Amino acid sequence: MEWLIFAFLSTWAVLSVMGVLFLKNPVHALLSFVSLILAVAGMFLHLRAELLAGLQLIIYAVAIVVFYVLVITTIPWEKVKRFEGFYKREFFLGFPILLLSFALFAYAILKGNFASVGLEVKDNVKEVGKSLFTTYLLPLEVASVILLTAMIGAILLGRKEE
Amino acid sequence: MTIEKAYMLISVFLFLSGLFGVIIRKNLITLLISTELMLNGVNLALVSVDRLVGGIEGQVFALFILAIAASEVAVGLGLIVALFRLKGYEGSSEITHLRD
Repeated sequence: MEWLIFAFLSTWAVLSVMGVLFLKNPVHALLSFVSLILAVAGMFLHLRAELLAGLQLIIYAVAIVVFYVLVITTIPWEKVKRFEGFYKREFFLGFPILLLSFALFAYAILKGNFASVGLEVKDNVKEVGKSLFTTYLLPLEVASVILLTAMIGAILLGRKEE
Repeated sequence: MTIEKAYMLISVFLFLSGLFGVIIRKNLITLLISTELMLNGVNLALVSVDRLVGGIEGQVFALFILAIAASEVAVGLGLIVALFRLKGYEGSSEITHLRD
């Protein structure tokens, strides 16, 4: 049963990745990116990271995709049809190198042994929330400052120059 | 081969195809979507290692990566809109100011 779920989710993810890489229209690529996000959220649920699955849906599938859709509607696409698709020469140069590195990574993962602490976390959301607000309190605050900085930077970049 | 290792293989695939997309795509917006693919791959690797080792630290780091991804996409799309409005650029081969 576990492998059945894995096969379903991974096939879904691989098909969506192909869509993101090779579809011509940016809107179609964005739609297959949304499909990939849903597949990855399912993978998180399968790996019992429920909090992260929910946050993936909220942050990626809503916030980030809405950013992209807004920008795509801002830019007039009929003028920029010449930049669709992908570079052929870079495709044929880059594909063997990335295939080789995938083989190396896969070898390292399949042959390697991972350390095991052996803890079994029962209540995922509670544990993650607790450690976010005790052990990782300072990184959480720094992350909020980073979000604020990014917001100010986006406003500065997007304002009208005179 | 356990299910966590299989998920790690999928995450490596996601990361490398994001890198591939950054290399080959012509349009700037699809290039940014490919970087999101890379971030998703890293998140999946963190969560599956977490399940393998038995802890929650990887999920906390993945959460921070989500925050960084949101800010990255705000700044990146702001840059793309500014580039398009000021220069009319829309492809990754047009930005050659530093090269020339």
